[in-house]
Order: sequence, then C-alpha cells, then structure tokens
Amino acid sequence: MKRKLIAILALLAAAAGCTTVQPWERDLHARADMQPDQQDSAIDDHIYFSKEASSGGRGFAGGGCGCN
Amino acid sequence: MQLKKPIGASLAAATCGLLGALPAAPAAAQDAKDWDIESSLLYYGEDNDRVKDVSLDVAIRRALDEDRSFSINLTVDSLTGATPNGAVPTNDVQVFTGASGGKGYIVEPGEVPLDPTFLDTRIAASANWQQGLGEASRWNVGVSVSDEYDYFHAGANARFEHDFNLRITTAYLGIAYGQDDIKPVGGAPIGLTPMVALMDNGGGADEEPGDNDGYRDGGTSLSKDVTDLLVGVTQILSRRSLLELSYSYGKSDGYLTEPYKLLSVVDPVTGIPVPGPDGAPFLYLYEKRPDQRTKQSVFAEWRHAFDRDSMAVNFRYMTDDWDVTSETAEVRYRWNINERSYLEPHLRYYTQTAAEFYRTVLFADERLPRFASADYRLADLDAYTVGAKYGHLTDHGEFTVRLEYYQQDSNPSPGSAVGELANHELILPMSAAILQFGYRFKF
Repeated sequence: MKRKLIAILALLAAAAGCTTVQPWERDLHARADMQPDQQDSAIDDHIYFSKEASSGGRGFAGGGCGCN
Repeated sequence: MQLKKPIGASLAAATCGLLGALPAAPAAAQDAKDWDIESSLLYYGEDNDRVKDVSLDVAIRRALDEDRSFSINLTVDSLTGATPNGAVPTNDVQVFTGASGGKGYIVEPGEVPLDPTFLDTRIAASANWQQGLGEASRWNVGVSVSDEYDYFHAGANARFEHDFNLRITTAYLGIAYGQDDIKPVGGAPIGLTPMVALMDNGGGADEEPGDNDGYRDGGTSLSKDVTDLLVGVTQILSRRSLLELSYSYGKSDGYLTEPYKLLSVVDPVTGIPVPGPDGAPFLYLYEKRPDQRTKQSVFAEWRHAFDRDSMAVNFRYMTDDWDVTSETAEVRYRWNINERSYLEPHLRYYTQTAAEFYRTVLFADERLPRFASADYRLADLDAYTVGAKYGHLTDHGEFTVRLEYYQQDSNPSPGSAVGELANHELILPMSAAILQFGYRFKF
C-alpha cells in the first residue's frame, strides 16, 4: 500500500509540475456538475458507516451514532 | 454519526467561488443569491422486515460576503425494524431477553435471530463557519451534536485550506474531535458474560450495586472519544480533469462494544448451543470489543468534464488495528440530457476482511477469548450499490430523485458450520432500497 501511495503522490507531483491550466481556462471545473454533492455524500457516509466496518476517506471518519 | 461536510466538496465550492463560477444551468444562472437551502427526504428500507429509516435533512447556507459564510444542517431520523442480534439459528425455538430487560422475543426454529425491538429517533444538528484568510487561504470551524434515546454525541471540527501554484493545487488539513455518551437501555452488559435468562432481571432503574446478573449498574453512562485527522490535496490536472487525494487517521477510545449484540456458545461437534445458567435452554454471551481502535485510510477521486457530461471515479483503501481492511470503488456518470435535466447512474463496490475477534459462534470447549463479536458488520463481507439520480432544474430551484439498491453478503468465520449449523444459513444476506427526494433553491 505504501508503494501505491508513493507512486500516486509522485504522479501527482509530476502532474503539478507540468500543468499549465490558466485561471481563465477553468470554466469546466467551475461547472455545477463538477462539484461533489455534499448532501448525498453525507447521507451515503451515514448509511455505509452504519452497515460496514469502514468510515472516512472523503472526509472525517466520523462517529456519533449508536447505529444498529 | 454526524453529517460532516466532505472537505472535497467545500474545497470545490470554494475553488468555484474563487474562480468566479460560470453559470451552467437555469437555476444557477440567476444573480448570486445569499441563501442556499438544500432539503432531502430519505427512505432506507432493508428486506425481511429489517431496519427502516425515514430521514429528513435540511442544509441552510448563507454567504455573508465573498470571504465569509456559515451553514447549518439539521437531520431527523426515525428508525424501526429488526436487526440481527448475533446468535445463530437452531432447530429449536429460541427466547431472548429484550434490550430493556422487560420485553423478550421469540425466534422460530431455523431462523436467524433478529431483535425486533429496535426503535429510535435521532436528531442531529451541525453548524459551520468559513472565512477567508488572505487571498489564498481559508479556514472552517464547526460544531455538531446528535441525540438518540441511548446515545448522545457532541463534536467540533476545524480545517485549513491553502492554494498554491495559481490555485492549481489546494492543500488542506483538518481535525475533528467527538465525544459520545452511550447509555444502553437497561444498563450496559458486561462483555462475555451470559445473557440473563429472566426477562425482568436485566439491570434498569431497580438495579442494585453488586447484583450478579451480568449487568453494570443501570444508570451507568459509558463514553468514547473519537479523534480524526485529515490531510489532502486537490490538483487540477488539465482543463478537464481534477484529482483529489487524502489520507485520514482516526482513533477511537472508550466503549466500542455493541451493548445489544450476543454470541451463541455451541457444542463443537453437534453445533447445538449448550445450556445456559439458571435453567436457560441455551447459552448466549454478550459481545466484547477492544476499547481502542485506530483507522487509517487513503482516498483518491478523479473528476473529469466532457463537453456535455462529466464523471467521477473514486477509490478508498482503509485498514485498522482490528485487522479490518477494506477497499471501496465508486463511479458516477452525469449525463446532462439537456440544460434542465440530468441522469446520473452510480455504481459502488465494497469489500472488507473480518475483524480479528469476529466469531460467528463460540465453541463450548475452547478458552474464552479476550474479545469476541458476532456482529455481521465485522465479518468478511462484500457489498455493492447500483442506482441512479435524476435531477430537473426549474427557474426556482432543483428537484432530484435518487433510487439505489444495496446488496450485502457476509461470510461466517471459518469452521463455524459444525453439526446442525451446516444446515442453516448463519448470516442472512441483506439488501436495501434507498429512495431520496431532494429540493434545492436559493434566494
């Protein structure tokens, strides 16, 4: 897993170094459908936290329910 | 669980604001609005009369100016239905003490024992404040509380974000702390002691100190602390693509046991539960988990904009010191049918290994382990979700409806299916339907 993480970080660093996306070229990133849906994510996190042994990732690992 | 804002979403929103969001849809094309209200009504229902949840969620966001905003989130959950109690099926009728010590329930021969006394209402609220800090940084602080009949949570969180490299790269660092108080109905059972056979002897208000009935004092409140750290980076890869990477570390300390879960103690040859104390036909022990857990996860999400559509793919790897390792992969494709409508299919796959102390049954001839749980959520399991969301934009807001199907299959611990247990399904597969209606508007 460490190797995978290092490889991803190296790729990211390389990508950061060669990216030349100017601020006026970011219209597509600003599109509403490119933004994650916060409410759906929160609802899904709550469901899966209650039914599986994992949590966290996108945001904080959370807690705070006596889910059965 | 508190409904915390995903950092990526806030980042993206903040990035969008900094870049001067270009309107892409009728509702968003209006002049900037100060208030943003997002509401949803969720139905979650499992098969076999298991857990059902109806949940109402309202998020209110208010931008005070370009740099400052606050948000408030309110959720009400109504939970009903039955949930597996951890015991295994037998060829005989099984009788269990209810969680309250007063309401027992009977399970027919051959059936996986489900506790039907599950009923709760949960109210959760959170508030967050976001503020700019110079031209390239932002911070965000928040608090959250949630309350159930037997559970109370209070927490606080903070994060800091900084843009680099002409805002092509954004790094963030977050911390969250939560304290939960657990007050099991009838008192918390002592782990790995026999379930009390008498239905009116399960702790509660009449509990006397020194009672030898397997319960702590009825009024005892237990607690756990949860601390999370999150560090991540969002990187614009090209005009169309963006990659987000994060690492999170979470530590829980305190009472992590499920007070209402049991384990059957069976004969290692016949698979029949051995007799319990005080003439009880079968022996069941309350589960017991370690009082500490440390989780680590890495998360990566790639988002890509096509000319009309967009897609997002993410992957999470999680590992903890309970020996649970999980992998989660998700993909969403947003098909923008026209300027006002879209359809977004969604697929998710999840797989996890069992916790080291997960045991479908305990055998009567073995030494009692330090920790044991038969909670199917700690078993070796696979799950997938398939669904779609449809959205329609009007001049006033956005309606959405989401329908998803969730299927989960768990495997018993190796060597569990001895004797008559080989003839029974030890863990029921579970499927659930998720239906969500949403409406979002600004003014």
